[in-house]
Amino acid sequence: MLPSGLPEVVADDEPLARFLMSSSQFNALMVKPAAYMPSAKDGNTSVFRHGAEPRESLLEIAGTHVVGERTLHGVAICTAQQVRASELNVVAQEPPPRHANITGWPVVANDPEQTKAQQKERALLIAQHAVLVRVPR
Amino acid sequence: MLEPVSAVTIQLGLAALYSLARPGSAVSREAQVVQQVANDAVNSVERSWALFGRKASAISELSALANECAHEGWDGGDARPIDPQAVSKAIAFMRALPDSLPLPEMTAEPDGAVSLDWIRSRNRLLSVSIGAGDRLAFAWLDGSDRGHGVARFVEGVVPARIVDGIAAIMDVRDAAVRAA
Repeated sequence: MLPSGLPEVVADDEPLARFLMSSSQFNALMVKPAAYMPSAKDGNTSVFRHGAEPRESLLEIAGTHVVGERTLHGVAICTAQQVRASELNVVAQEPPPRHANITGWPVVANDPEQTKAQQKERALLIAQHAVLVRVPR
Repeated sequence: MLEPVSAVTIQLGLAALYSLARPGSAVSREAQVVQQVANDAVNSVERSWALFGRKASAISELSALANECAHEGWDGGDARPIDPQAVSKAIAFMRALPDSLPLPEMTAEPDGAVSLDWIRSRNRLLSVSIGAGDRLAFAWLDGSDRGHGVARFVEGVVPARIVDGIAAIMDVRDAAVRAA
């Protein structure tokens, strides 16, 4: 059991929240794939193990661990199963509480653009299923 | 010495052009030719305005995005600032797009690249990454079909694979797209 009280293994049916700090990361139709692209620093995509509800605790996580002085524009919610169906994985990574990483992004040796293209295809697969929670301003 | 042309002068010139282009009682061969030439000129001016306005608006949107994502960690994590070279290349890319294609939506990526997205529906979209280099990574979903690739953007020519991909995803069936 992790300090947050959550199990160490992220179950397939667990919802994952990705906080969106730019309104350009989504449109009226969907969350854009770029929102799920991995960090250039650690090669993972940071998510929190939380669904759209309860809204108060979702926004509290964002406020405490992500937003800082920036503005939260929305939250993308998908399930761990949808991530795994995209040939990626989700691994718990606390602290902070409830934090997890989307891992396993493909890397092509000595070819950053091929790496990016393959990663983008997987991001498209996740984004097509993600549910957008808009944050009222 | 060249002198600036005022908006009023342009308006007056266009007003004259519109009056010549208006369907009227031109009966002589010469009058019909003048009317046809004026018509063609009006169409050309209107088309240029529509296209320039569209692309100018997209470029302005990209500039706003570049400002919004100009600092480290703009995504609440450790995203790199948007790369000014990527922005310049994205502008060149949009200017080079065939006019019959729709313009993309855009967003920043965590590595500082610009993502240009053509979104028809949740499972019909194409996304191109533009970084500082000439090689563009792209990927698409088209129902159950999907894929990715890399193409080179050089000398202001949008790679044919990307043009064809956008046309297919966005249902553009203009022959001019293929010829571009």
